[in-house]
Amino acid sequence: MKIAITGIGLVSAIGANCFETLQALLAERSGIASMRYLNSAHSDIPVGEVPYSNDQLKAMLGINEPMSRTSLLGLMAAREALQMAKWPNGQMANDFAFISGTTVGGMDLTEQHWTDYAQGKATENICLHEAGESTNLIVKHLEPFVPSPFAFIATPSTACSSALNAIMLGANLLRTGQAKQVLAGGAESLSKFHLNGFNTLMILDKQPCRPFDANRNGLNLGEGAGYLMLESEADALERGAKILGYIGGYANTCDAFHQTASSENGEGAYWAMSKALRMAKIQPDDIDYINAHGTATPNNDLSESAALKRLFGDLMPAVSSTKAFTGHTTSASGGLEAAICVLAMQHSFVPANLHWEQTAEGLVKPAVHTEHRPLRNILCNAFGFGGNESSLVISAEGVNLSENPVNSTLSTVTSVDMNEDTEINRYVSPAEARRMTPQTRRIVAAAKRAMEEADILKPDAVVCATQYGCMLQSMRFLQDMIDSGEQQLKPTPFIQSTHNTIASLIAILTGNHGYNATYSQGKHSLDCALKDIQTQLSLGLINNALVLEFDEQVDAWDNVLRLVGDQTQNIAKAYIVTK
Amino acid sequence: MEQLIEQLKAQIIDALNFEDMTPADIETDAPLFGEGLGLDSIDALELIMLMDREYGIKLADPKAGKAIFQSVRTMAEYIQQHRTK
Repeated sequence: MKIAITGIGLVSAIGANCFETLQALLAERSGIASMRYLNSAHSDIPVGEVPYSNDQLKAMLGINEPMSRTSLLGLMAAREALQMAKWPNGQMANDFAFISGTTVGGMDLTEQHWTDYAQGKATENICLHEAGESTNLIVKHLEPFVPSPFAFIATPSTACSSALNAIMLGANLLRTGQAKQVLAGGAESLSKFHLNGFNTLMILDKQPCRPFDANRNGLNLGEGAGYLMLESEADALERGAKILGYIGGYANTCDAFHQTASSENGEGAYWAMSKALRMAKIQPDDIDYINAHGTATPNNDLSESAALKRLFGDLMPAVSSTKAFTGHTTSASGGLEAAICVLAMQHSFVPANLHWEQTAEGLVKPAVHTEHRPLRNILCNAFGFGGNESSLVISAEGVNLSENPVNSTLSTVTSVDMNEDTEINRYVSPAEARRMTPQTRRIVAAAKRAMEEADILKPDAVVCATQYGCMLQSMRFLQDMIDSGEQQLKPTPFIQSTHNTIASLIAILTGNHGYNATYSQGKHSLDCALKDIQTQLSLGLINNALVLEFDEQVDAWDNVLRLVGDQTQNIAKAYIVTK
Repeated sequence: MEQLIEQLKAQIIDALNFEDMTPADIETDAPLFGEGLGLDSIDALELIMLMDREYGIKLADPKAGKAIFQSVRTMAEYIQQHRTK
């Protein structure tokens, strides 16, 4: 099957649609500026903000109900992609899947209303907090465009690689016949929560960021959304859709090195890129342009350069990071930048790597200005916390990717429910445990025991399902942020607050470089994780997987959830599954 | 100085969640990173924040921490010279 891209939609600091984005890219006009809507105490930190308030976005979209900024941005980009793809245009849409990565979800509303929530007020926004719910709201307002029930909805939450992982799952669903059309990418709004979080890591530049420059001094956070409409070439041709490009190949690996830093030699990144090229059946010198992750932190750019040099050697294609235009749109970045790659392919240009001045030992030298030339194959990188490394090849000509229907049920080799704490010390040493919450210790112990009992110490995939993610650390960071007026915050709670903390921690502790994913889709999170695994088993991409079910009961959050008739519970289950 | 060193050890244990340790377990001159306590880059950020919170010392460049955090003693010496509270 050749997987065609028949629509793209994107929104970021440089434009609310493809046309505006293209104009800004070609004019080399950055969207990094002082914050206008975020209302953070750190107003001296520049950001890549979408230049509309929430009220303006709602007016543009015709929305008059409470909605997180993540959902608004996602909806804007998703609608553009569907319109470009001329979907559904009369066809039945019963095999349609929507996969949208996010980590922030509704945190922008939660941080704004938290004090009200805690006092029992403003309850209408509480349910919007969840990552999965921000995706559901986009779906709700896509229904006029996609009238039938969606075949599948999922929210991958692997921090900054979330949207590329969404695209990979989307491609896998097509290859296994579980969807006919897929809209996949991601959405993320700025929040005070993650601006302060990145600030504790001391990696935010107070100047416009300078990817791959010798004097780069950190990243600028951005916000936005980006989606690709994917379908088989045969289906696209049959319904007369215009094909913009093809999915060539893709891969996700885990650096398994550190919660927030990349390894010096870029091990995970190297393997993600190598595997993506192998799937696309192309050689390094077939790549014409690399849209690098290129955050402009000292660590990322050096590590990514090492991986690029290892793979491409002296045949380095044009490289640029478009984050100097948009800022780092975190969970949306893979979708936004994949859509930018499609624009670059359509209009035959290499986007500039703005603000670059000089190179230094170990760094790749990027394309400083726009270069106009045809691009046949483009590599797009998105790397996330926990060493979650994803690479996607977009090609002008399609490549046949193997197909296989999902034809078997999963078999569970071992199953561990870690409700008792007695065994934890056997699996988690005091040194490992010192940053873990009690519930994190339980899930790590459960995972290690499941692997030990199955005698599979490095499963091919580690996939976590969680409704709310690491709530204890999230609540700690949120409360400290509010109490302190965004001052003197501790980095550890933020580092451990992302939904993919658990899956990456297990990969790091066990040196597992395999596929690593996390889904946060409310009560359907486990279904999403199992669907991903079953799909990959059917395609022969993996032979076994470690499945984790995690949630963490936190009083402060439970007191708020009770206002809307919900509550959390402690879950720490691990399974090893095979075909 | 000795009093500052003891206080600092207790603050390090608390900030870095060394649940089972007491100040007596940390050697004043042992390396904090690598062999000694085995701290990593996240701990370095926590120590920078500790100096800000407890002693009013702001480090703008995380790389500057490397020389300061060689041992509890070097850290205490730096704090004594630069503290604003």
